[in-house]
Amino acid sequence: MTTIDTTTTDPTTTSGAPRGASDRSDLKRNGVIDSDVHPNFVNGIRDLMPYMTETWRTRLGISGADWAKGMAAAQFTLPLDYLYINPAGAYREDAARPGMPPATDPEFVAKQLLDPHRIYRSVLLSGQCLGIGAMPDGMVAATIASAYNEWMCERWLQVDERFRGAIVVAPQDPEAAVAEIDRMADRDGVVAVFPLGQILMGEKHYWPIYEACARHELPIVTHPSGTENVFAKAPQMAGTPTFYLEWHTALGQIHQSNTLSMICHGVFEKFPNLTHVIAEGGFLWALEVMWKLDRDWKGLRNEVPWLTKPPSEYLLGNVRFTTQPFIEPHDPRHLAPLMEMLHADRVLMYSSDYPHWDFDNPDRALQGLSPELRRAIQVDTPRAVYGDRLD
Amino acid sequence: MTDATTGTATTAAPEGTRHVVATLAELPPGSRRIVEIDGRSIGVLNVDGRLHALMNRCPHHGAPLCEGVVKGTMQDSAPHEYSYGRHNEFVVCPWHGYEFRLDTGRPLVDMGRLRVRVYEVRAEGDDVVLYV
Repeated sequence: MTTIDTTTTDPTTTSGAPRGASDRSDLKRNGVIDSDVHPNFVNGIRDLMPYMTETWRTRLGISGADWAKGMAAAQFTLPLDYLYINPAGAYREDAARPGMPPATDPEFVAKQLLDPHRIYRSVLLSGQCLGIGAMPDGMVAATIASAYNEWMCERWLQVDERFRGAIVVAPQDPEAAVAEIDRMADRDGVVAVFPLGQILMGEKHYWPIYEACARHELPIVTHPSGTENVFAKAPQMAGTPTFYLEWHTALGQIHQSNTLSMICHGVFEKFPNLTHVIAEGGFLWALEVMWKLDRDWKGLRNEVPWLTKPPSEYLLGNVRFTTQPFIEPHDPRHLAPLMEMLHADRVLMYSSDYPHWDFDNPDRALQGLSPELRRAIQVDTPRAVYGDRLD
Repeated sequence: MTDATTGTATTAAPEGTRHVVATLAELPPGSRRIVEIDGRSIGVLNVDGRLHALMNRCPHHGAPLCEGVVKGTMQDSAPHEYSYGRHNEFVVCPWHGYEFRLDTGRPLVDMGRLRVRVYEVRAEGDDVVLYV
């Protein structure tokens, strides 16, 4: 295969990296907020060793047994989905440097992502820890979550103030998750909580976690974990997709199930100030969900009498969607009416998904939208969701 | 609670044409009768001794509304709690389950300006009389 050199220059005018106080205040007012960036480990779970006790390093089997280090199947790994293969690689080639996997060096990420695109804040969602909710042992998952959160604070949030982070919690053990939220809520740079597990998220199992998030005014965020359909308990409506293309396109199904579950169980009635950010889970499906849910609810409201308003209003009020990968309708003229139907100015938030292969450039991906809508998506809505924790 | 049975304190003659639709004995509590008047299908229901008459047509998709179940509803409650009440104040559309108040024809959930037309019905002597 021949590689094609595409050294196109970006036609959009950016005034480059911010310099001086006036630039900084302009960046604060108008800079893009990016809701989905993945920081990666260099050596997998071993990167977390400094953030664990020897007891837990022993429990996880990552401190001894030299013979196991060379055998992939003989040592403990984080749950990841290696059953789907993106033949082109799941990462931007240009995000990797010799000997360094993509998005492992915060300074390089700042140079490649934050500076050129005038990004004011990027919210980190762990690459490798998104699947801990699929682990069979909640104590193990809670330990890894705490270690990851410490790693993220020390290695990323304290290195560049433009990084913000979602802490990971283990939803298998709500009590531990609440303790972790209480422990981390006031740390500098923490803006959200990632609690994805194996139970549909409206269920009461989750309510202590939501109570803690609501108390600390922290939104929750979910994102595909890479563990979909790998475990029998993973939420699935049918069988297992065959291809990466198939799986990747269908990811919205899981978010749809979780959104329906949370609305129907009355989560947003119980916790009216809780926001759920759905990252990389699509958003146009919300149109059908809103319309169908409202129609069916009129006949089925006896089942969910705690809903005090049409269910779509909970979605519009408490659920937000990140934009990447942004939609490309066959007929570009369809974009504007779709955005209007979706109330995009209220529910969409820009995301890049750096360093992944399907990265959305903030200057290009939303080009088809009006400047007002772009601003709502890139600045105003994320500001409303994360609040003062951004500044 | 509104008692929809009129004729108790009303002295003015109701508007519309008078139609005797049944004797009271033919329409005991818990029964109903669908009548056709001037090409309109109207349901006359005796619910716990209260008489109600509604257009037999759901404003949503045109279902025969008055063939639906008469019942109460789940009242507003905290998440994961149920509280049944307002027993027999509603008729439930047999197609999609929308609930309409028997006395006013108003839907329980907002359907824009849609509602079901209700008619004056009363007991006069031994007769059930409908005014259309």
